[in-house]
Amino acid sequence: MSNSRYKIVFYALSLVTAFILFPASSYAADKSNKAGDVSRGSREWANNCNRCHNLRDPKEFRDDMWEPIVMHMRVTAGLTGQQARDILAFLQASNFTPVTTGTSRGATLGLTGEQIFKQTCIACHGADGKGAIPGIPDLKERLNSKSEGVLLGHIENGFQSPGSPMAMPPKGGNPNLTSGDLRNVLEYIEEEFK
Amino acid sequence: MNSSLFRPLVGSLCVLAVIFLFPVQNLAAAEDTAALKARIEALERELDEIKAIMKEQTQQSAIKEEEVEEKIEAVQRDVEATKSAQDEWKTYASKVHLAGYGAVGYTNDDPKNDRFSQVAFNPIFHYSFNDVILLESELELEIEDDGETELALEYMTIDWLVNDYITILAGKFLSPLGNFRANLHPAWVNKLPSAPSGFGHDQAAPVADVGLQLRGGVPIPMRLRYPAYANYKVFVSNGPELELNEAGDEIEAVESAGVVSNEDDNFLFGGRLGLLPIPSLEIGGSAAYGDLALEDEEDRNYTVWGFDGHWIWKNLDVRGEYIKQDVDSLPSSVAPDEQKWEAWYAQAAYKLFSTKFEFVTRYSDYNSSHADVEQEQWALGLNYLILPNAMVKFAYEFNNGFENEPTNDDRLFIQFAYGF
Ligand code: HEC
Ligand code: HEC
Repeated sequence: MSNSRYKIVFYALSLVTAFILFPASSYAADKSNKAGDVSRGSREWANNCNRCHNLRDPKEFRDDMWEPIVMHMRVTAGLTGQQARDILAFLQASNFTPVTTGTSRGATLGLTGEQIFKQTCIACHGADGKGAIPGIPDLKERLNSKSEGVLLGHIENGFQSPGSPMAMPPKGGNPNLTSGDLRNVLEYIEEEFK
Repeated sequence: MNSSLFRPLVGSLCVLAVIFLFPVQNLAAAEDTAALKARIEALERELDEIKAIMKEQTQQSAIKEEEVEEKIEAVQRDVEATKSAQDEWKTYASKVHLAGYGAVGYTNDDPKNDRFSQVAFNPIFHYSFNDVILLESELELEIEDDGETELALEYMTIDWLVNDYITILAGKFLSPLGNFRANLHPAWVNKLPSAPSGFGHDQAAPVADVGLQLRGGVPIPMRLRYPAYANYKVFVSNGPELELNEAGDEIEAVESAGVVSNEDDNFLFGGRLGLLPIPSLEIGGSAAYGDLALEDEEDRNYTVWGFDGHWIWKNLDVRGEYIKQDVDSLPSSVAPDEQKWEAWYAQAAYKLFSTKFEFVTRYSDYNSSHADVEQEQWALGLNYLILPNAMVKFAYEFNNGFENEPTNDDRLFIQFAYGF
């Protein structure tokens, strides 16, 4: 008898689920088409992708390979679709090899160093430059121990010191930033954190 | 007088002079004009020539411009074509991806022997269609003590990502109850070479099941300093099977290998809810309930409870978990007694960044109605991280189990693990 009792519970639950699912899915369809965002993604990546295992390097995989991996991890970790899209955008933006063209040297996106820091760098480096997540060094130490040219090169091309569990992605993971932008943001962090 | 004589002379001379002068002057003027004319004509000719050259040149440069434009267009077309060919691999809908992990190990268990003790390969296959359908499947290939290779289907589910918050999985999945079995057992994820006491196969923590699962994540709409999230898994499954001891009078284990039979005709219902009030802290609770029965016997209640937690602070990673399975007594059964399996562990790991080293310590305790399987364990480990996903782990386990059982022997482990 408990057999039939469970079956009834099971079928009832399935029905209830179906009723919840369909309105929920159409509701979500309206809200879910927000495209992935690189700077939100860098924060979500740093917050979520070290919960079960060590952070994997964005440069480990090609753009198309990250897609099924992030899908797999979205299901494994119980992330929302938006979190997954943001993280995917970040990973796909952070695995590129930057091309330095002569013409973009002086150009900027028209953002101040502060704006760039708050959009792209703050997720990892924190508002105080001391690091928002494990694996991020205090910027103060680095700014005091390295030359401007070296730092600029590392911001532009990405950097991982030997033994560091995490890499600084090229241009902080935002391929749209020009060398001019990077100089502005370096000036800003030198003023703020040095 | 004289003057009257001179006057006509002067006058006539003047007239003569005028008459003379005029034609002479005229003659000179005529010569100049001719020269000028000639020069002008020469200039005009030159001008015409220049004009002609100019004309030719502009015509030529117009032709060149056209040519250049055509060439640029051709290059642009080439670039577009190359780009769209390049983008093909970014935009195609069906993707195939191969992941997985491998591990090899060396064990010395005191006082028994030294040996290269583990060779395991776990390929994971992913097939996805856009961000809607994902098939995920993990095989486990492992060399057994007798040299045979064992092949097992660890999990195989088809996942339908219905919307941003709901995914439906059908197939064989790792048990959603607790956290270690589902997420932490892969060799490159687990910070120690072994599972905590009670979290191995057929011990206190359920391993896998076959059925239907609903899971996903939702933001918690609260105004906190950080965005808070919850993740959930609910499932209905065939449930585990009861295994009798050799004498046939006691239930020895609950086998949760994930079977496609359901002899007792009962389903298991359960789930896990995880809360992340801040990103670095997760607290989870699991429960499952159902009926199990031995062959041709009546049903008896089966319950699972579990709690797990995880906290990250800078280089410190702390986690712990408690899990309990309970099979009720049934006086009419050949194995009438109630049986319990209960285990918990707490683990702390600390990374030394500049050296790539990670220290790990873990305490685990496994209790059961069967005293001979019980174990209490301290494990100490030191890992060398070659990569975030490739490491060599050295560990020593201080084991305290039933006398003369292998669970009582201390063990030294070296494991080389790589996840890809
Ligand atoms: C809830 C735990 C958990 C979280 C959170 C998590 N992972 Fe994983 N990850 C795993 C497990 C477990 C595996 C091993 C594969 C398996 O057993 O299915 C894995 C495997 C991987 C792999 C190897 C390739 C593959 O698909 O198996 C990559 C790369 C990866 N994770 C990246 C990420 C990224 C990026 C994030 C953040 C979005 C993330 N992980 C978050 C548990 C997690
Ligand atoms: C995804 C996280 C992340 C983001 C986003 C990020 N960084 Fe970093 N950054 C790091 C890590 C990790 C390091 C340390 C790397 C190491 O030493 O191995 C680092 C190091 C640095 C350093 C020191 C480099 C050196 O030579 O020691 C500077 C300067 C820096 N980042 C600036 C920036 C700027 C500017 C931005 C925004 C444009 C930014 N970072 C965005 C993670 C990040």
